[in-house]
Amino acid sequence: MAYWISILTEACIFSIMALGVNVIWGWAGDFDLAIYGYVALGVYLTIAMTTGPPVAPAEYILGWHLPYLVAVLVAVAMVLPVAAIVGSIALRNLREIYFAITTLGAISVLYVVVQVYTPLFNGFNGIAGLVTPMAGTFNLSYGNYQYFLLGFCAVLMLIAVVVLQRLSASPYGRALRSIRDNEQAAAAFGRSVFRAKLTAYLLGAGLAAFGGSLFAAYLGAFNPSAWAPQEILTLYAAVLVGGRGNVRGVVVGTFIVYIGFIELTRYLPNVGGNTEFGPSAREFLIGALIVVMLKFRPQGIFPDRHGMPRAWGAPGWLRPLAGTQVDAVGEQDAGS
Amino acid sequence: MSGGAAMLEVSALTKRFGGVKAVDDCSFSVAEGSVVGLIGPNGAGKSTTIDLVSGFSRADSGSVRFAGAEVVNHAPHRISRLGLIRTFQAPREWGSLTVQDNVALGLRALARETILRNLFAARSVRRAERADRLRVDEIIEQFQLGGVRYDRASTLSGGQKRLVEFARVAAAEPRLVILDEPMGGVNPVLGERMSEAIRQFVVRGSTVVIVEHNMKFIEETCDEVVVMDLGRVIAQGHYSSLRDDERVVAAYLGSVDGE
Repeated sequence: MAYWISILTEACIFSIMALGVNVIWGWAGDFDLAIYGYVALGVYLTIAMTTGPPVAPAEYILGWHLPYLVAVLVAVAMVLPVAAIVGSIALRNLREIYFAITTLGAISVLYVVVQVYTPLFNGFNGIAGLVTPMAGTFNLSYGNYQYFLLGFCAVLMLIAVVVLQRLSASPYGRALRSIRDNEQAAAAFGRSVFRAKLTAYLLGAGLAAFGGSLFAAYLGAFNPSAWAPQEILTLYAAVLVGGRGNVRGVVVGTFIVYIGFIELTRYLPNVGGNTEFGPSAREFLIGALIVVMLKFRPQGIFPDRHGMPRAWGAPGWLRPLAGTQVDAVGEQDAGS
Repeated sequence: MSGGAAMLEVSALTKRFGGVKAVDDCSFSVAEGSVVGLIGPNGAGKSTTIDLVSGFSRADSGSVRFAGAEVVNHAPHRISRLGLIRTFQAPREWGSLTVQDNVALGLRALARETILRNLFAARSVRRAERADRLRVDEIIEQFQLGGVRYDRASTLSGGQKRLVEFARVAAAEPRLVILDEPMGGVNPVLGERMSEAIRQFVVRGSTVVIVEHNMKFIEETCDEVVVMDLGRVIAQGHYSSLRDDERVVAAYLGSVDGE
C-alpha cells in the first residue's frame, strides 16, 4: 500500500512537470531539453531554503529556514530568471534542432556547474534534510504523512490541469498553436513570435520548477545523479503517449508511462546479479515506446482537438483526427 | 497615379545577397484604394521586395513608408499591426487548427491572447469571442467554407487552403494587403471567386498589391501595374499603356504573351 501511495505521488508530481513540457513543446512547438534543469533547480532551491545552514563538510547556498510553502514560491520565482536567460538566447532565432541543441548545452552547463562547484549545492554529494515538510503545521504523524503528501500533490496537479485546460482552449492557446504551426504567417498577422514563445517557455519552466519543489518534499534529498540528462525522456514520452497539446491526455500519458513502466520492469530478474538491470531496461523500453508512438500514432492516445466541436457519442480519441463535417452538432469547446 | 494619397511608398530600396543585388534602388508607390500588380520575370526581385516591405527581410538601404510612417526594417508583427497584411507564395495555413480558428486568428484580437487575461478575465474574453463569431461566420459563408469549418486546415486541398488564406485576410480587414502569387495552382472557377474576393477587399477599404504571373488576371484585376526587372522598377502605369513599352516587352511581356 505504501508502495502505491508513493508511486501515485510521484506520478502526480511528474504530471506537473510533463504539463510544463506540454506548454513548451505541445503548444509552442519548441523541443526544449533544458526543462529538467529547471526541475532540478526547483528541488535544490526548495531544500536549500528550508533546511537551514549547511553542516560541515556539506556546503550550499541560502541555508534558510523558510516555511516549505513559501520556499516553493520563492524557488519558482528564482528559476524563472534562469529560464528567461536561456529562453531569450535560444528562442531569438534558433528553432527545431538548433534550439534543442542550445537548450541541451544550457542544461549541460548547469549540470557541470552544480556538480563541480561545491559551494552551490554541495556538488556531487548533493543536499539533504528536507523531512516531511508541513507535517508540523498540519500536525501529521509519520504514518499518515504520505497520504497527506499524495493528496497535496494530487490537488495541486488538478489545479494545474484546470488552469492549463482553460488556457489551452483560450485565445492564448490558439495563438500559441498558430505560431507553432506557421511562425511567419503568425507574424504576418501581428503575433510577436519571440514574445509568445518566451512567455510559453517561462510558463513551462515555472511548472517544471513547481514540480521540482514538490519533488523536493517527496525526495527529501537531491544530488546530480538524480537528474541525469535522460530523465527528460520520461517526460517527453509521457506527452507523446498522452497526446501532444492535450492537457488531460498528457496527465493520463504520464500515469501510463510512469506507473506502467515501473510496474512492468519491477518484476524483472536481476540478470547476472546486476541490480541495475530493471532501471536500465526501463530506459530502453521508454526509448522504444517513443519510437513506436512516433511511427504509429504521433498524435498520441488523446489527440489535441483544440477548436473542434464536442460531438455526441464517441469520445474524442475515437473520432477521426481530421474532424468531419459536424456543423449541426454545434457548440465548440469552452472558451474558443 | 490614381487619385488617392500614397498608402505605400517605396523609395531607393536595396537588398544584396552576397554580390547579387536582388533589389536595386527600387522605387514605386501605391495609391490608397487602388489595386496594383507587381510583375516581372522570375528573379526580378518581386518577392524580395515584398519581404522587405513587410519586414520579413532586412533592407540594406532605402525607405518604406506605409500610411505615412517609416517602417523599413521594422519587425514583421509591428508592420502587420499597422494594418499591412501579406500572404506567401505557398498558402501558409495553421495546419493543426480548424478552418474556423484560422479565420478567427485573422481578426487579430491580440489583446485577448495574454495568459493573465485568459485566467483572470476569462468571462470578458469569452464574451468578446462570442461577438467575433458573428464576423467569423459571415466570412466563412462568404468563402463557402462552411462544410470544412471544423476540419484541420492541413487536411484541405490546395485550392481550399488559398480560400482559407483569403478568408484570413478578409477577417483582418487590412489597410494594405500584399498577395504573393494568389493564383498559383488555382483553377479558373476558384480564380473567379478570388477575383471577387479581391474586389471585396477594396470595397471594405483595403488597398491591394498583387504579385502574379498570370497576366490575364493582372489585366482584369489591377488598376495599375509596376514592372520590375533585375531588381529595379522599369515601368509603372496602366496595363494597356505598358503593353507597348519597349523595355517591358523586352523584359517580360513579349516572352509570355501567349499565356
